[in-house]
Amino acid sequence: MIPLALAASSDSEAPFVTRLAGSEGNGAGDSRCIASSSEESLWSGPHGLLRIEHPREAVSGDVVLVRPAEGRLDRLLRSGSRHNSLLVTEQCDQLCVMCSQPPKKTHDDRFDLLRDACLLADAGMTIGITGGEPTLHRERLLDMIEDVLAARPDLSFHVLTNAQHFRREDVFRLRRPEYVKVVWGVPLYSADPLTHDRIVGKIGAYERLIDGFAHLMLAGARIELRTVLTRTTVEGIVDLADMVARDLAHVEQWSLMGLENIGFARNRWSELHVDLRDGFEPVGHALDVATLRGVRARLFNVPLCHVPEPFRHAAVASISDWKQRFGEACSTCRARSACSGFFEWHPPALLEEVTPL
Amino acid sequence: MSGGVLHVDEAGKFFMADDGMQARLDADELDDGDVAFLTRTGHLRRPGLQTHAATFAAARRRCTAGPLDYLILVPTLRCNLACSYCQVSRADVGSRGHDWSEKTIDAVLAIVRGLDVRAVKIEFQGGEPTLRPDLIRRIMDAVPSDVDATFVVCTNLQEVGSEVLSIFDREDVQISTSLDGAAATHERQRTGAVDRTDLFLCNLDFLLDRYGPGKISALPTIDPASPPSASELIEAFSSRGLHSIYLRPINYQGFARKRHPHARDLNADWRSYHEEFVRTLIARNWADHTVVLEESYFSLLLRRIFRPGQDRHVDLRNPNPVGRDYVVIDHDGQVYPTDEARMLTRSGVIDLAIGDVERGWDTPERAALDAASTNDGDPHCEACAYKPFCGRDLVDDVARYGRVDLPRPETEFCRRHLHLFDLAFELIHSEDEAVLFSLRRWLGLAGDDVRLAVPR
Repeated sequence: MIPLALAASSDSEAPFVTRLAGSEGNGAGDSRCIASSSEESLWSGPHGLLRIEHPREAVSGDVVLVRPAEGRLDRLLRSGSRHNSLLVTEQCDQLCVMCSQPPKKTHDDRFDLLRDACLLADAGMTIGITGGEPTLHRERLLDMIEDVLAARPDLSFHVLTNAQHFRREDVFRLRRPEYVKVVWGVPLYSADPLTHDRIVGKIGAYERLIDGFAHLMLAGARIELRTVLTRTTVEGIVDLADMVARDLAHVEQWSLMGLENIGFARNRWSELHVDLRDGFEPVGHALDVATLRGVRARLFNVPLCHVPEPFRHAAVASISDWKQRFGEACSTCRARSACSGFFEWHPPALLEEVTPL
Repeated sequence: MSGGVLHVDEAGKFFMADDGMQARLDADELDDGDVAFLTRTGHLRRPGLQTHAATFAAARRRCTAGPLDYLILVPTLRCNLACSYCQVSRADVGSRGHDWSEKTIDAVLAIVRGLDVRAVKIEFQGGEPTLRPDLIRRIMDAVPSDVDATFVVCTNLQEVGSEVLSIFDREDVQISTSLDGAAATHERQRTGAVDRTDLFLCNLDFLLDRYGPGKISALPTIDPASPPSASELIEAFSSRGLHSIYLRPINYQGFARKRHPHARDLNADWRSYHEEFVRTLIARNWADHTVVLEESYFSLLLRRIFRPGQDRHVDLRNPNPVGRDYVVIDHDGQVYPTDEARMLTRSGVIDLAIGDVERGWDTPERAALDAASTNDGDPHCEACAYKPFCGRDLVDDVARYGRVDLPRPETEFCRRHLHLFDLAFELIHSEDEAVLFSLRRWLGLAGDDVRLAVPR
C-alpha cells in the first residue's frame, strides 16, 4: 500500500495546504525542498519550514494538507495518480448495508483548504469528491467546484452522491458551463423501491433519488450510475438493467462494482458477498441488456478470472494502485496487467480463489 | 405481422400486441396486465424522470452531425482496371490531368491541417489511390498531432509495391478491397483476365497472411441479374477469415447505367437474394458456433432497431445532414456530399457538387440538398413503423428517378428497407434458437439470455 498520511512537523500552527514542488517550485502555494535523506525531507514554503518523515522523491509533486497540531500531513492529491479523492464530509443521510466509509455525526468543514488544494492540482487532473454525502453541504460544495473550475478550467471533478438533495431550483445552476467538467457518481441498487430503500437504510430514498435523477437530467448533468454487487442486488440486476435501459439510458456509464470487504461489509461479508465464479449469469444478462440498448456498462473490482470469457471486455482494471492486491497464484497470470486484482482488505482466505489466465 | 400487430413509438421502442391485446387497444379497454406490461416497457410513463427519458430517447433518434470528421479523398481518377460496373468514369492509368494539381493538394492539406476533432477517418478512394502513394503520405503527415486518425485505403490490390506496402504496414491504416465471390465471378465482373485475377487473389492472401483479417475488409459487388450463390460468396469470404460480408448491389451509377440498365430497379429478385443470404448465414452460424459470419448491412439495421445514435453509416440516418460531418473531395478539388453524388456528376446526369476545396462548401447548393435530406414530414414515412430506424438517401433517388419527391413507397430505397425491416422484425420475434443465436451475435451480445422480442 502507498501511505496516504505521513508524520510531519511545521512552524505553522494552523492547518495549511501546499504543493511539494521539488527544487524549482515558485508558485504561490509551493514548497521547495531544501534537504532530503532516505528517511526525511525538509521543505520551505509560504507557511515556513516543513519536515516530512519521508524522502523527497516519493512525495514530490503531491499536494498535501499539513495538520501541525496532529504532527501529520495528508497527501490529498498525489502527483501522477489517477485516483485522487477528497473527503468533504463524513456525515450521511443514508446507511447503506455495504458502506465502505461508515458515516459520523459531526462535520469538520475543510472546504476552504480543499479548494486551495484543488487550485494547486496537476494540470488536467480529475479530482474525486467523496463522503459521507457531499451534497449535505450543497452550497459549500457547489461554490468550491465553481470557484475551482473558474480558475482552473483544465481540471475535472467526479462527485459521489446519493442524489437525495438536488432540488428543482438547482437545475439552472447545474446547467452552468463549468458543470461540463463534473461527473456525478450516483448509486442505484434496485428497480424495486422497497429493496433500494432497505439497502440504503432510508425510507423514501428511492423516490427522492428518482426526483434527483430528473433534476440532474434536466440540467444535462453527466452521470455515472453505480451498483454494488451484493446477493440482493444481483437477484434484481436484470430488472434493474431493464429500468436503466428504459429510464436512465442517458448515463455515461453504468458501473457494476464488486463488494469491498471494508466498513459495514466487513461484518456482513458472508451475507452480502456473491461468488461470481458460479453466480455470474444474472450479471451477464444485465450487461447484455445494457449493450443491447446502447448503455455502456462496466464491471469494476472483479478479477478477470471470475468473469466468463465472453464478458471480460466489460471488466475494468479498476482498483486504485494504493489499495490493490493479488493472490500468489496471480504471479503466473498473463492477464494480470489488465486485471483489477483484489482490494488490499479482501478476505485473505479468498485471495487464492483465482485461476491464472 | 404474423403473431400480432407491431407497435413502435417515436423513440423506436416496440412491442408486439397479440389479437386479444390489439382488440383491447382498439376498444381502449386495457386490462391490468396490459397496463403493467406497457408501464414496464416504457410505453406508459410517470411524469418526471420517465417522461424526460422518453423525450430524450426520441431526440436521440434524430441524427445530429458534428464537425467534419470523415473525409473521402480521391487523389487520382486513374485506375489500372476497368470493371464493368465501375461507379465513376475512371481514367486510363497513363492519362494526364486526372490527379490532384499542386494547387488542389495545398487546399486539401490546409483542410486536413485544420481538422478540429478528437478522431478522424480519412478514406482514400479513386480511381486507384495506390497509384499515388506520395499523395497518401502527404495527407497522413498533415493530420494535426492531437487528432487520432484512422486511414482507409480502398484499393483493387492489383499491384502492391514496396512504397504502398510501407503505408499498409502502419497501424492506423485499414485496407478495403472488393471481392465479388469465387475467382470466376470476380474475373467476369472486375479483372477480365485470369492473370489479373490471380494477381489480385495472390495480393489479397499475402496481405491477409501478413496482417490477419482484422486489418482488411472486402466488399462484394453483386449483379442482381446474376448473383453468385450465397454459399459461393460465403466460402470466398470465410475461407479467408473474413467474417463480415456487406452485400452491395451494383449502384445505378457510372458505367452501370449503360451496361447494367436493369440495376435501376433492384426489384424483388434482389430482395429475396438478400433475405436468402441472411437465412443462409443463420443456418451456417448455428451449424458451426465457433465462427460467426454476418451480413454487415443487416447487422446495421438490427443495431439501429435496438440502439439510438447508430448514425455513422452515412447512407442510413435521419435527418441525413449533407456536407457537414463528412465530404468527398474529388481529383479536381470539387467537393461532394457523398461518393454516389460524385459518380452521378461524373456520369453527366446532374451536378451535385456542393463546393470546392478553395471556396469551401457552405454554399446554396449544400443548403438546397440539406433542406430535403429528411424523412420528417413525409406522409408515408410519418405513418411508417420503421421511421425511427430508417434513413434518407437523396442521391439514390436522384440517381434512379431524377427527382426526390416520388411517393416514397415507389422508390427502390423504400421497398428495399421495408423488406429488410420486415425480415428483421420477423427474426426478432422468432422462437428458433438458431435465429436468435445469430441475432444476438450480430448485436454484439456476449450471452444468450436476453430476449429480443417484447411480447405481451
